[in-house]
Amino acid sequence: MLVFAASDKGGTGRSVTSANLAYQRALTGDHVAYVDFDFGSPTAAAVFDVPSAMRGTEERGLHSYLEGEIAEPVRIDVWRQTEHPLLRARPNQSGRLVLLPGDAGGGEFATGEEALERCIDLLLRLNGEFDLIVVDLSAGRSYAVDMVLAATAHPRMRNVPFRWLVFHRWTRQHVIAAAGLVHKEHGIIKGGVERGHDEDALRAAIRFVRAAVPDPESPLWSQGSPAQAAWMQACDETLRRLAAEHRIGDSVVLGIVPLEPILQWREQLITEEDVLSTQIANKETLEALEEIALRLTDDAHWGRP
Amino acid sequence: MLACGEIRTCLLPTRQALDIRAAAQLLGLRADERVLLSERPNLYARSPETLTGVDCPLPSANGARVRAVGTVAARAALTEGRVLQTSAYFRLPATGPDQRRPWGHYLVRPGVLEPFGKLPHEAVAHGVLDGGRHGDLDVGLIADGLLTRLLRHPLLDHCPPLRSRPTRLRWAALPAHPGEGPSLERFTLAEDELRTVRLRVPEDTDSAEIAVLCDDLALHDWLLTTLVRMLDGIALGSGTPPRSRPGAPERPAVLAALRPAVDHLLHLWMPRARVAAELAPLWEALEERPGFTRQWLALVQRIRDQLALHAIPALYREVEPAP
Repeated sequence: MLVFAASDKGGTGRSVTSANLAYQRALTGDHVAYVDFDFGSPTAAAVFDVPSAMRGTEERGLHSYLEGEIAEPVRIDVWRQTEHPLLRARPNQSGRLVLLPGDAGGGEFATGEEALERCIDLLLRLNGEFDLIVVDLSAGRSYAVDMVLAATAHPRMRNVPFRWLVFHRWTRQHVIAAAGLVHKEHGIIKGGVERGHDEDALRAAIRFVRAAVPDPESPLWSQGSPAQAAWMQACDETLRRLAAEHRIGDSVVLGIVPLEPILQWREQLITEEDVLSTQIANKETLEALEEIALRLTDDAHWGRP
Repeated sequence: MLACGEIRTCLLPTRQALDIRAAAQLLGLRADERVLLSERPNLYARSPETLTGVDCPLPSANGARVRAVGTVAARAALTEGRVLQTSAYFRLPATGPDQRRPWGHYLVRPGVLEPFGKLPHEAVAHGVLDGGRHGDLDVGLIADGLLTRLLRHPLLDHCPPLRSRPTRLRWAALPAHPGEGPSLERFTLAEDELRTVRLRVPEDTDSAEIAVLCDDLALHDWLLTTLVRMLDGIALGSGTPPRSRPGAPERPAVLAALRPAVDHLLHLWMPRARVAAELAPLWEALEERPGFTRQWLALVQRIRDQLALHAIPALYREVEPAP
């Protein structure tokens, strides 16, 4: 299955969260590919902690592949090539976790027919090899978004299931922006329909992930004053109403990732050790990631809201 | 003489195996030449050869820049409508002219590259097996290009019955010592997907026949690799799954995981089915060590045992099946 990770704005934690979802699925035994179509600001190498593996891949990444300069984009085996000490000990019975990086320094580029064909070739080959393919797309209605909308509407990809995750932060601006990215005139759904997607089917394949959400119940805020707590509750309620009005209410939310310093500051994978031994990450965050990872393929959470 | 090539082997991405007519359609690369179809001892279809003109340096281990001009032959084969292989190869004579000839000269020698001057056999064989530098001749690209072209065919529904990894096999055949028969010097599993084969063959061996032998090695290596990974990835027995927590998806049941092997792979094992008689002895080396067929039979037995255990209703099983 293909999972496209999109967001309207930067700073939503899209890359780091989707990388964590890929990691969680690999732990459960799935073979997972993480495809970095975040042209312009590839962060995946940092998240998976593979800096030296990235050396020498400048001209062999996904840009060069799509532009036809190389036949196959470079692949990085995360378990083997990561410098993260905990990840190197690949857990027993885990699946493969492979990163396909973008070219270092490659920016956005216009896509043509040939790039589209090559994108389809790549996604189909990965589909034959991996259980789950997470595709990280650059923020906004980017070329990458258009390309995968066209690719998934192509007859060659008719049998390949796909789903979309739209990441947004839990603020007024981000809620409105995320809704716009999906539902507005130049949004994903309209753009998909123009490229041949069925509107209802496409809408049914899109879910939202609220990222960096402060949980008023969390111990993090328990030191606050009663006034603060009441204010937070009220804000949360207002945002929920706003989201519902913009058709991104609870029924189309796949999961909620709590505000988590590790994700905000370090952009790294959260391991069980981070929670249990060093306790630098919150248990709730790991649980949220595990839950969303499971829901990716749980049909009960997908379909028409 | 030196012959080299590279083969890509993958599962055909279709829900059902292609029948022989569909296979002929898929592999009809040229209007002027028919697809070779054969039903004995197994279903097999092979495309006509396509030629790619090249004029570039050969990869070489010692950095010597040997330019070669000519054509690389490539073709595709489908075994039992299920395993697709594309294979690109060429032959190099020991010496060539010092300057480039008109294309007509090369076109009447399909699959032959002529080196400029004397060919450093050993260095080029090494270079091919280790992979060249950017800009050197890369026959793998030609095999991959043909594979990409075939995978775009509308006959393919891209619903493979199991997840599997394609493999690459590079080979180089050096001349055998005078009076000696063919021999297999080395078969290595280089990286996850890369295999290299180093052969020695008598001077007059047809390079197309060597390519057929290497296709056969690549096919059976892929089958072994795929079955090993399949058994590696499933949790046998009824032990606790690796990360059991509430709501976690159940590990693929043993039956569901092994069934595709029974449906699509187990009947494909047939070493030497189309290998020329004079090259067939090369298989003996692999049967001796590491023992390709021995390992295959053990894996097949293991799968059948699992299926047999699971056929017994749980009620009557005293112990749960375990690896």
